[in-house]
Amino acid sequence: MKAVYIVFNQAHTERVEYILDLLKIRGYSLWADVKGRGSISGEPRMGTHTWPEMNSALLTIVPADQVEALLEKVKKVDEINKEVGIRAFVWSVENSY
Amino acid sequence: MSIYKTSVNKPISTFMVFTAIVVMGIYALIKLPVDLYPEIDPPFLSVMTTYPGASAADIETNITKILEDALNTVDNIKEVSSVSSDNLSVITLEFNWGGNLDESTNEVRDVIDRIYNLMPDDVDRPSIFKFNTNMMPIVFYAVTADESYPGLDKILDEKVINPLNRIAGVGSVAMIGAPKRIVYVEADPRRLDAYHLTIEQISNIIASENLNMPSGNVKMGALDYQLRVQGEFTDSKQLSDLVVGNYNGVPVYLRDVAQVRDSLKDISLDEKINGRTGLRMFAMKQSGANTVKVAKEINKQLEELKKTLPPDIKIELILDSSSFIKGSINNLSQTLLYAFIFVVLVILFFLGRWRATFIIALTIPISLIVSFIYLFITGNSINVISLTSLSIAIGMVVDDAIVVLENITRHIERGSSPREASIYATNEVWLSVIITTLVIVAVFFPLTLVSGLTGELFKQLGWIVTITVVTSTIAAISLTPMMASRMLKLHDVSKKRKKWSYINTIEPLLNKLDDFYASSLKWVLHHKTMTMVLASTIFVGSLLLLRFVGTDFMPQTDESRISISMELQTGTRVEETIKTARKMEGLIQERFPEVELMAVSSGADEEGSMFSLFSTVGSNVINFMIRLQHVDERSRTVWELADEMREIISTFPEVATATVSTSGGGMGMGGESMVDVEIYGFDFNTTNTIAEDVRQKLSQLPEATDITVSRKKDKPELNVELDREKLALHGLNSAMVSTMIRNRVHGVVSSRFKEEGEEYDILVRLSEDHRNSISLIEELTIMNPQGMQIKLKEIGQVKEYWGPPTIQHKRKERIVTVSAKPNGVSLGTLANKILTVVDEVETPQDVLIHVGGSFKDQQESFQDLLLLMLLSLILVYIVMASQFESFVMPGIIMFSIPFAFTGVILALLVTGTTLNIVAALGAVLLIGIVVKNGIVLVDFTNLMRDRGMRLYDAIIASGRSRLRPVLMTAFTTMLGMLPLALSRGEGSEIWNPMGITIIGGLVFSTLVTMVIIPVMYGLVARSGERDKIMKLRRKMSSLED
Repeated sequence: MKAVYIVFNQAHTERVEYILDLLKIRGYSLWADVKGRGSISGEPRMGTHTWPEMNSALLTIVPADQVEALLEKVKKVDEINKEVGIRAFVWSVENSY
Repeated sequence: MSIYKTSVNKPISTFMVFTAIVVMGIYALIKLPVDLYPEIDPPFLSVMTTYPGASAADIETNITKILEDALNTVDNIKEVSSVSSDNLSVITLEFNWGGNLDESTNEVRDVIDRIYNLMPDDVDRPSIFKFNTNMMPIVFYAVTADESYPGLDKILDEKVINPLNRIAGVGSVAMIGAPKRIVYVEADPRRLDAYHLTIEQISNIIASENLNMPSGNVKMGALDYQLRVQGEFTDSKQLSDLVVGNYNGVPVYLRDVAQVRDSLKDISLDEKINGRTGLRMFAMKQSGANTVKVAKEINKQLEELKKTLPPDIKIELILDSSSFIKGSINNLSQTLLYAFIFVVLVILFFLGRWRATFIIALTIPISLIVSFIYLFITGNSINVISLTSLSIAIGMVVDDAIVVLENITRHIERGSSPREASIYATNEVWLSVIITTLVIVAVFFPLTLVSGLTGELFKQLGWIVTITVVTSTIAAISLTPMMASRMLKLHDVSKKRKKWSYINTIEPLLNKLDDFYASSLKWVLHHKTMTMVLASTIFVGSLLLLRFVGTDFMPQTDESRISISMELQTGTRVEETIKTARKMEGLIQERFPEVELMAVSSGADEEGSMFSLFSTVGSNVINFMIRLQHVDERSRTVWELADEMREIISTFPEVATATVSTSGGGMGMGGESMVDVEIYGFDFNTTNTIAEDVRQKLSQLPEATDITVSRKKDKPELNVELDREKLALHGLNSAMVSTMIRNRVHGVVSSRFKEEGEEYDILVRLSEDHRNSISLIEELTIMNPQGMQIKLKEIGQVKEYWGPPTIQHKRKERIVTVSAKPNGVSLGTLANKILTVVDEVETPQDVLIHVGGSFKDQQESFQDLLLLMLLSLILVYIVMASQFESFVMPGIIMFSIPFAFTGVILALLVTGTTLNIVAALGAVLLIGIVVKNGIVLVDFTNLMRDRGMRLYDAIIASGRSRLRPVLMTAFTTMLGMLPLALSRGEGSEIWNPMGITIIGGLVFSTLVTMVIIPVMYGLVARSGERDKIMKLRRKMSSLED
């Protein structure tokens, strides 16, 4: 089991939901309004007057073999327009109930 | 859930909500009445009191003074003025605008009740008269006739006036100058004396003969008969055969001592229409009725009714106030349409996309239609003010939609789906959209709070613009994103474009403009001092030019109407007056082919009809009403024609004073501008001398014309002075003698002759040639109770006097007003000239001279507007300071306001327009429009600074990026106003100045905004938001190690 944390510009919300459906991933948690800024480039997402845009964050726990497909899709979405922004981070899940 | 998200997610609901608004708006539009101005209740009350037989001076001391003192205590009163003339006292109370006139009326009634007992016994109870714009006649007709003239009164009454009165919305229809039938019994005094008869005896006999009397019932057989004595005359000829006395056993017939004439009443008013005998007929509407509809209905009905009239009776329209209304409204509707087209073209030019343009343009009709709902709910009408307000608003309602749509487009081009882009892009800008709207509201809303006449007129403007702009904002954050999510799509950049497509033609042009602006901005930022010095010079220079801009109260309009009022020497008999009228008539027909119709009335209607409230009447007064050809059909303006007419009148030696007026008597706004010199003082001789002095000084001024003195020249009077001792000797008293004199000279209505349901007076008096000189009056025979015949000269003397016909008061003091109209100069210039002239006039201590008139109104209104401007400035500052959370930023933006005024001054000078109320209002409105541009620029610069750009880079980058939106909003507003400024149709003169000031101010201030504001920003905002954070962090410096 792997945890995939996807953080993306709100403008990508529909696409991200579509990816999950496409890969038949049912479970996830979503934080609708998330502030943050990229480590290297991209505009900060602060929801302020200066940086009005906002991110959403999504955490989904998937079987290890699905991770590759998921990251590939995320990359595809990102390539539509780099400025909008989407990133995914993966780590292992030790245990679950 | 936010409004934009809901509307994007529920497009059908959104669509339905706006459809509902549009449907209600259209319903309101259909139901709304059309009028020239909003209905105004002028806060005036008149108190009229009659005291038969009292001279002007008696009236003044016994009635006017008592009433004035008492009425002065009524709440909310602004000014009390009065006119005391023979038999009549009229007190005019002016209240402050905006008060409750009904309450005041009650209070006035209370006061009158309280003091009625203090007045002389014979005084009739004072009547209160409320003035309303509805009382102005809406249509005037000239009726001419040849053979039917003697019976015109009756024919019209039956066949025209009664049917017209039945039309819904018609208040009343009346006529002036109608010939009246009357039966004269004119006695020869010598014959009366010979037969030992008097006028009173004859009158009594006629009254007792002309009688029908029911005399009981008679039962005969099975029937019950009514018994009647039928004594009434069936023919006026029967009068001659009346036996009026017995002399030496021989009956004396009426024909022996008097002549019976069944004829038309002696002329005291002569009406000629285009040189033919006739009369004038006018109609007034009921309160709240639609002028245009009522007038149309009257005209339609009249066409039908004309067919039933004898062929020699012609009815022609002199004045139809609805045609001017229709003209103005059509003209403004056209203006609105052009403005709409211009605005759409501007959007298309800058955006280059049909769909986007459509979405933005859609907010225009929606926001405008909402104002109709407002008008409907508040019971207002479609009028010049409401339509002009829409013209002003049309350029501003698209601004919000533009901002929203621009951001949505940016998101879509970045690859977002239109639906998501619509939601998130609107989320980013909705707050700033609302704030810029608040700025506009901050300027227009105070308009609804202004008091006085200006306030009454501009209240609607304030409300309509506020409502439309707020609606447009709501539409911009709900309808616009919804439409964008449905209609916009990503442009395929790779697609090959045609050579003449937008991308290949206008787009590069705009890009070049952006580049040019960025580079010039760079230059000025490095030459800040020079730029600021240059700008200040321009501003100060324009202030110096202000001296050359004339000031005025209200713009004058060419309503294709001229009215002339000519006064001959007081006391001139009507026959002489008519001669002068004929002469003038001939000259006008000869020299002015532009005159379509001319109605002349000379003299006065004896009874003093309603009409005499609106214009001066008297046996020496001639009134001309002239209708000219339509504005487009003639080369000379109404003012040129009026000037030439004045010249003609000045060649008439017999004319004492004359005024030529070019406004059709429209209330309030259309009124002509005048400067009044008010001379207060008790003594008639002193004030008369000063008034004459002022009049002569004014007539030497080339700037002044139509100079009139309000106090009429003393009129000649014949006074009968009775010797009381001699009266007593003969067993007479003053009352008896004065009644007898009245019966002999004026006549006594002894009875009424009935024919076909109408009644005509039978007037008994001495024949004209026995009562037309002082010696003949002295020869009048008075019969005492013993039956002795006494000549008037035995008991008294007839003396000739001069007495004032009217005494005017203002603020309880006697006043003479000398008024003048400006001649080719502005009202302000004339007022200043007059002020210097009046200063030279030497006045005794108890006389006070004051300059007022529309000049005073103008000054009051300008003060109001100045206050309004101050209020707007403060509100705008408050809105901006809270938006930017800074005291300095609003200052930078407001720095562009003075330059807007520079633009206004230049525009007024170039177009030769005077600074009047409308132009000044335009200048006030500019504040909001100008500041809006500044906000867009400064806001974006702040943003760039916050995002970490360096000062100059931020200024240049934001300037470059905001150039198009600023130009776009400026152009939409300017081009929206352009039709208003250029329109040349009926009534356009009123609104041209506003269009001119706003366009002039906006052109100039936009240029300045784009240069001065960045420079100011560079000077003032050296420490941006970034530095505030730095300061904060320095406090946490302990963390750094």
